Amino acid sequence: MSGERTVRSGTPAPDERRGPTLNWLAVAGLALSGAFVVLAIAAPWIAPHDPTRLFEPMLSPSRLHPLGADDVGHDLLSELLYGARFSLGISLTSSLLSTLIGAALGLAAGYHRRTGALIMRVVDVFLAIPRFPLIVLMAAFLRPGPATLLLFFLLFGWPRTTRVVRSQVMAERGKGYIEAARLIGASDLRILTRHLLPATAPIALPRFLSEFQHVIVAESGLSFLGLGSPLVKSWGMMLAYASRHPTILITDLWVRWVLPPGLCITAMVLALAMIGVSTEMWYNPKLRASGRRIGERRVVRAGSEVARDRPVGPRAPAGGEYDLRGSVHSDAARPRSAAHAAARDGALRAARD
Amino acid sequence: MKAFQRILTVFLVLTLNFFLPRLMPGDPLSYLDNESPGSDSPLLVTEATRQKLLAYYGLDRPLGEQYVDYLRGLARGDLGWSIYYNAPVTGVLLGRMRWTLLLMGASTAIYVALGVALGVISAWRRGSALDGGLLVGTLALGSAPSFFVAMLLLIVFAIRWRVFPIGGASTPALFHARGVARVADVAAHMALPVTALVLTHTWGVYLTTRNAMLGALGEDYARTAFAKGLRERAVVVRHVLPNALLPVVTEIALRLGATIMGAMFVEVVFAYPGMGAMIREACLARDYPLLQGAFLATMAFIMLFNLAADLLYSRLDPRLRAT
Repeated sequence: MSGERTVRSGTPAPDERRGPTLNWLAVAGLALSGAFVVLAIAAPWIAPHDPTRLFEPMLSPSRLHPLGADDVGHDLLSELLYGARFSLGISLTSSLLSTLIGAALGLAAGYHRRTGALIMRVVDVFLAIPRFPLIVLMAAFLRPGPATLLLFFLLFGWPRTTRVVRSQVMAERGKGYIEAARLIGASDLRILTRHLLPATAPIALPRFLSEFQHVIVAESGLSFLGLGSPLVKSWGMMLAYASRHPTILITDLWVRWVLPPGLCITAMVLALAMIGVSTEMWYNPKLRASGRRIGERRVVRAGSEVARDRPVGPRAPAGGEYDLRGSVHSDAARPRSAAHAAARDGALRAARD
Repeated sequence: MKAFQRILTVFLVLTLNFFLPRLMPGDPLSYLDNESPGSDSPLLVTEATRQKLLAYYGLDRPLGEQYVDYLRGLARGDLGWSIYYNAPVTGVLLGRMRWTLLLMGASTAIYVALGVALGVISAWRRGSALDGGLLVGTLALGSAPSFFVAMLLLIVFAIRWRVFPIGGASTPALFHARGVARVADVAAHMALPVTALVLTHTWGVYLTTRNAMLGALGEDYARTAFAKGLRERAVVVRHVLPNALLPVVTEIALRLGATIMGAMFVEVVFAYPGMGAMIREACLARDYPLLQGAFLATMAFIMLFNLAADLLYSRLDPRLRAT
């Protein structure tokens, strides 16, 4: 058992991974998104009113109603707090599920060649379909409730994760420590769960974050187009109702009706993006801002500075390069370069193996 | 294999596009009838008229037949007849599409230039307050839903300050204007929608440029260029930037797909007569053929951009050509 551990040089030791990731981007992102999650969970206790209760329409802000009321008399602050529950709930659920499903399929696809070929065929077809237009189209026709909407997001959410996780597994599978684990008699299941699963986590995390962002924005977009379900309290639905109100543009109403939900969506997505970018910086030290400033005259002239090594830290996972919103471009079969990878993942994403 | 997969995907999209509207509750005629919910039509459609209309539009025939018809029509570039506009879908689409393409073209040109410039500056001065500010700033703008940004711009610049027109693509009373007056009018109407798109889409190009530049600046050739005493600007602009632009090209092609969708939302806010506003109308009117045509066009565009990204990439990177 201990022998198995010592060969495990492919992944950095757990404690080695912590620490520097906590740069200010990550701290700000975590704090902001954490605050939203807490507000969403605590909504029933901190909301001043029941969001479905009707007060006088168009109430001006007052002590009892800090943001006033909308055109039918819903307390806007309560709607905002309860809206966080739905907006964050559906995006968290669908991004979590699609990451899990995608990662499981990716593990299977990377570990077992035959299954892999089959799964990847399906993945490639899914990835070639522009998903947001199709979701809008499906929503326009089927007028989905929250559960069906979740299903739509899941349906198009998993293939990206599968693709990147599989690439990572294929890169990792050939490494010495996996072979060593197999030689000392570790079962497939053990190798998958104890070795390959942890190795793919750095890839699954950015995928999860970017799915999360996608669903929040997509939900608000669908609501805005009038395709949300009218009974749902979400940030998107608030914006949708606000945007359809005849006086929203000419009065000051927008300050308390349009601005709060819009800023909430923006802040939440920004928080997730910041976590994503900082994860990316951690796994790709070249992107780290804390490194020596290349191009600085002083640095260039001083020979010793130039000769200094690049900032130390774990390299990007083999075959993987990160870009924002977490998509990891990677493909074990090809030489690694950000350029290559972006082209591969970016474009039609057809199988090349 | 790759070609086969692409064909399969296109076929799948076409089939989905055909079946989706037929799965939904209600039919296009329910909008004509004032008894159905959500309709404010003054018409009362009797059962006989209904049957006649269904037969006229071929909606009473077996699905298989309709499907073959649909594919045959597509092959001829015939997307059907828009029930709401009472005109051929292809015609309606083409009329609307030029406005969407105008918005997209203008905003893409601006955000690409802006994104590359800011990305270079950010990478050059990495770790500085400027870099941090640009990073968080572009991310924050990119995190906002495009329609939200569009609404704020509309309220502030068109309604409060009255600097720009509040909507549409040109002033109706100036329809006879030609030359400079016409261009100025169209440009003034484009300004806010384009600004909304630029603000919300710059981050992609910016971040890709920044990351690629950071990667390239760490390469040995950059170090060599610095070491042999070249001016900083020369190294960054002449040596490093061209190498860092490769991933940016792909990013642009991919971003075009997102820009179409962004344009759609922005158009709705500014009542800009492009495809987006039309899609919303078609959604409300349940105009199947128009919706289908619009989405087919959108998806075709995006898939085309993706293909272009793929092809362009292997052209630009000689290392990929061999394989």
